[in-house]
Amino acid sequence: MELANQDHRVNLVDLDIVEPCYTLRPIKKQLSEQNINVIAWETKETIGLGEAGNTIKPAARWALMNEGDVVLDIGYGVEGSKTLNLIEGVDKEPNLKLYVVVNISRPMTSNVDDIIEYAKQLGIIHGLINNTHMGDETTPEIVQNGAKVVTEVAKALQIPVIATTAIRSVAKNIGNHDCMGNMVRPLDRYMPNTLW
Amino acid sequence: MSEKLITEEKRVFMTGNEVVAWAAVAAGAEIMYGYPITPQNEIMHYWTRLAPKYDRKFLQTEDELSAGFTTIGGVMAGRKSFTATAGPGNTLMQEPLSMAEAMRLPVVTVVQQRGGPSTATVIYSQQEVTLTTFGGNGEGMRVVYSTATHQELFDYTIKSFNVAWKYRFPTFVLGDGYQAKMRESLTLYDPEQKGVDFVPAERFVGKPGTPGVDREPGHYRNTYNVEEELYDVLQEHFADYKKMAEEVVEYDAFDTEDADVVVVSHGVVSRGAKEAVERMRKEGKKVGYFRPITLRPMPEKQLKEVADKAKKLLVVESAQGQFAKLIKDVIYGSTTEIVPLFKPGVGITTEEITAKTKEIL
Amino acid sequence: MTVQPAMPKCWRPESKPHKFCPGCGHGLVLKALGEAIDELGIQDRVVFGCDIGCSLLAWDFFNVDSIQTHHGRTTPVMVGIKRANPDLICIAYMGDGGGYAIGSQHLVNSASRNEKITVLLALNTVYAMTGGQMAPTTMPDQKAETSPYGRDPEESGYPTQGPEMVAAIAREGSYVARGTTVNMRQLKSYIKKALENQMEGNGFSFVEALAGCPTNWRTNAEKTWNFLQKDMPKYFKVGELKDPGANEKEGQ
Repeated sequence: MELANQDHRVNLVDLDIVEPCYTLRPIKKQLSEQNINVIAWETKETIGLGEAGNTIKPAARWALMNEGDVVLDIGYGVEGSKTLNLIEGVDKEPNLKLYVVVNISRPMTSNVDDIIEYAKQLGIIHGLINNTHMGDETTPEIVQNGAKVVTEVAKALQIPVIATTAIRSVAKNIGNHDCMGNMVRPLDRYMPNTLW
Repeated sequence: MSEKLITEEKRVFMTGNEVVAWAAVAAGAEIMYGYPITPQNEIMHYWTRLAPKYDRKFLQTEDELSAGFTTIGGVMAGRKSFTATAGPGNTLMQEPLSMAEAMRLPVVTVVQQRGGPSTATVIYSQQEVTLTTFGGNGEGMRVVYSTATHQELFDYTIKSFNVAWKYRFPTFVLGDGYQAKMRESLTLYDPEQKGVDFVPAERFVGKPGTPGVDREPGHYRNTYNVEEELYDVLQEHFADYKKMAEEVVEYDAFDTEDADVVVVSHGVVSRGAKEAVERMRKEGKKVGYFRPITLRPMPEKQLKEVADKAKKLLVVESAQGQFAKLIKDVIYGSTTEIVPLFKPGVGITTEEITAKTKEIL
Repeated sequence: MTVQPAMPKCWRPESKPHKFCPGCGHGLVLKALGEAIDELGIQDRVVFGCDIGCSLLAWDFFNVDSIQTHHGRTTPVMVGIKRANPDLICIAYMGDGGGYAIGSQHLVNSASRNEKITVLLALNTVYAMTGGQMAPTTMPDQKAETSPYGRDPEESGYPTQGPEMVAAIAREGSYVARGTTVNMRQLKSYIKKALENQMEGNGFSFVEALAGCPTNWRTNAEKTWNFLQKDMPKYFKVGELKDPGANEKEGQ
């Protein structure tokens, strides 16, 4: 979104094939209106799959051939990052950065050890994003706790924390940087509209 | 046994399927048997990730018939065993579950309802109520918990194992695709730390000693020679079920005392119903809320009382009257009008419930 | 006074005489099984599962823990038990209708997963308990209640070759054989090997036993024997199809 506002040409690709419930499909139109090229199935195109089908749209495979910035949402399953193997030219693209988005409120990634184990399974990663939240119950404290844990993981893995993200109201309370000095990016939530 | 999965109470944010897997581990479930079907798959995904770390087992079977019958095997070997299914899988599952019903086997089944009939949608519905409460060629001798929140998914999955092993009737957690896939916050806890005593599992087969020498063999059957023999066995089951019903029935209700319209719903739909009733009460409208948590056995007495006091019942469900049928059965004799708000296979919003309630007030 | 042959030790005297028809093959198959259990000394570890059809009459046949299940579903129940308690020796007992028709998916998938259970299947070419309908194993031209003019292979195919099918998909370590009640010593040795294979944790074991059904065949003793001994082996060849023990010996 930020990139689009800076007049970059942005392609957003839905590759979440593991637990495809919060998919981009329902908000595709809304995003398109904001100058973002969304590569995802339209619900009506996926007859027989319901809205949780997990076939890959051919255009997604060639996503890196698009001009401009390409943002790939690859889902969070244990095999999540391997989804990238399905993308043509992924191993030859020097500018591709893989950032792992971490929410320590999810029990599978709730502490330093678990996150390190998870991140290691993903292969080469270039940075972490602290996206710790608890839905509507999110407080600055919850986000800050996440920042501490994620920053510790980043140190252990010797990769940067790209940012801490939080919904706009919470982000405001935290300020421009979190307690660990990471940049705070405010989020506008589109996803609550995506559950069917 | 490995160390505990949950050592202290904590607030977390996860999907419903993930919650079920964690709850099953926390409840001491030892083995899961399952076959893939949406929207329950992630129960198996998370169970298979957790199982080896906590000394639990998993078998992926060839179909739901096999998933159900292997679960029966697990139970008879004396292990806390469970399976999970949905839609057409639930249809197949009814065969093993009728055997579990006949033989009083404490099988725990998690159902995440999807659209029907047939393959329909993989998304959401409340159309597996009839199948789950009265499926198979049986008499509905089951316990069915219809959950509404992730906290309840956690609580009732744990409770199901205890209820199943205590009363020896097949026990179900009836969720749906929304609950399965949605993310929500809840508190995870170790049941034992909270004072929950685990009812121990017992072996049906493989007890110590040589059968016929040290002990009688366990001879288990679901076939009877004569009508009278079956009749007598069933009478015992009915008596046990009735006795149990008083102890396990659960419901949630408020503002029903002076209500003209009581909104009756279950499962995830009751979230919208609850909010609608609360809002209308603030506006001074005489509306009430009733939600059976157990669909088998039904809170008969309480529901009949509510029905007798109210002028109308608004029955709201994401099915074409499957839940309403259960209601009608238990309030028989009451002349209170039942107004349906049925949306089979589709979610129902607070606004829709509010509008319909106001229309009939 | 006639002298009764001794019953296997693990048989349950209280349920004898058994409930099968005179001349029925089940009694013989279960005698071979009983002797095998005795010789292996595993009465305290065996769980015996029986199917629907005449096999269900064996629900109280042995002094071993026994479960009568549903038609075709004995295999998954035994798989479930074995997975939950690998110390037990699980035997799924069924007829050809249960194993090759309604429960074929369970037989095939258990074999292909190499489940460490033993399936023992009595083949008598008919659905006996339900009144003699055509089975997957009914012979060409054989009359049954649903093939009153004789089984026409054009119309309803040829008899299922069970052990051949299982041998084709079962992996190394599995034991597959076809015995017959005509040769009891051989049948017992096959069943014993199958059980040993399970005890050693090698893999799946499967024994089919040709068994007579004079009641539904409408045959006297001589004709029953002729059908068993002469007609059935034309389609159902007796012998071992897979034997890990033999492989080992060859390898040595």
